[in-house]
Amino acid sequence: MPDLNDAAGRAWLRVCRWAGNAGNRTLLFPEGALRLPQTARAIHELCDGKRTFGHIVQELRSTYIASDPVRIRQDAIAFLERLRNKRLVDF
Amino acid sequence: MLETPLAIIAEITHRCPLHCAYCSNPLQMASPASELSTRDWEAVFEQSAELGVLHVHLSGGEPLAREDLTQLVNSAHSCGLYTNLITSGIGLSAQRLEVLVKAGLDHIQLSFQDSREDNANWIAGARAHARKLEIAPLIRKSGLAFTVNMVVHRQNLSSLDEMIALAESLMPERLEIAHVQYYGWAWKNLDALLPTREQVLTSLETIAAAQKRLAGKMRIDAVVPDYYARFPKACMGGWGRRQLLIDPAGRTLPCHAATVIPGLCFENVREPLWSGFGRSPRAFRNFAVRTGCRNLVEVAIAVRTTSAVAAVRPS
Repeated sequence: MPDLNDAAGRAWLRVCRWAGNAGNRTLLFPEGALRLPQTARAIHELCDGKRTFGHIVQELRSTYIASDPVRIRQDAIAFLERLRNKRLVDF
Repeated sequence: MLETPLAIIAEITHRCPLHCAYCSNPLQMASPASELSTRDWEAVFEQSAELGVLHVHLSGGEPLAREDLTQLVNSAHSCGLYTNLITSGIGLSAQRLEVLVKAGLDHIQLSFQDSREDNANWIAGARAHARKLEIAPLIRKSGLAFTVNMVVHRQNLSSLDEMIALAESLMPERLEIAHVQYYGWAWKNLDALLPTREQVLTSLETIAAAQKRLAGKMRIDAVVPDYYARFPKACMGGWGRRQLLIDPAGRTLPCHAATVIPGLCFENVREPLWSGFGRSPRAFRNFAVRTGCRNLVEVAIAVRTTSAVAAVRPS
């Protein structure tokens, strides 16, 4: 499985769905559930089958304008790699 | 007040077309006549969701043996529960699958007994393997989350590599390699099923290598047997902590084997004053029992006999 990079295709949320209300959103998937912090949830919600990894990073950079853009990219890679290994996101 | 478990295992029937020697059902199975009604289960799902349960695992026996399965799936889904069908695949057709998907099913866990048909059928006590191979691509095509479950033990661990390859060919998101858990019928057949220490250690290496090779392609979860660990692991993640089981007749249990523990009584969801399992049911008030559970397993290990056992199967 190649490392995640800007050439990665569209990000799809797989085999999981959101539950709970806005203040307590929980991601449900086989044999598990995750209560994600706000930023992680923001990344995950961008995995809508329309945006590529590059689009997601761009969007995060424009949302978190005060943060280091290099760090944003690194963090997004680390988080999405973890989700990809759980088969919760595909590219 | 106990924390609410993540999931309930709804054992909706003990009827099953398979007769696996490692079946987790109790030796004294619930009769069809004692099974909860559709409305009973709907009430269980509603109350579970209200208490904060997130998942329901529809299990058995074979859940497809219940004619009202679609209604049960629909009910669980309507309550917001992530709905999983744990099945042998026997009784599933393309049409029935489509109806279940429409009813809101999220996930199917399809079990296999081996990669080799003759051994798989022998372990299952039924000619089921070929049908499972037919049904797996339909599940994959349905868009549901898909887990392949391989139950492993002394009689099939030698083909673990092949079993992983078979799972890979079926393209599930997730493979569960579950060493048999020794209660119910598996306990009865312990000596025929318990692997050697060497088999267990080899299997862990095989699984670790496969996890590495298949990272990002197929997630592999492994369940290990107790007997070669220093201490027994917490059964089902701990007494009623992560999951609770409701048997076909409505008894609310903290694990599959709880009914064999002397001196405990369990609330039934049919009782008019059923308090809901997060709200101090009788059996769960007894915190001391939780800590006693490990001792019980240790005692059980100590007293187990070593006599040869021919496979005893659920009928």
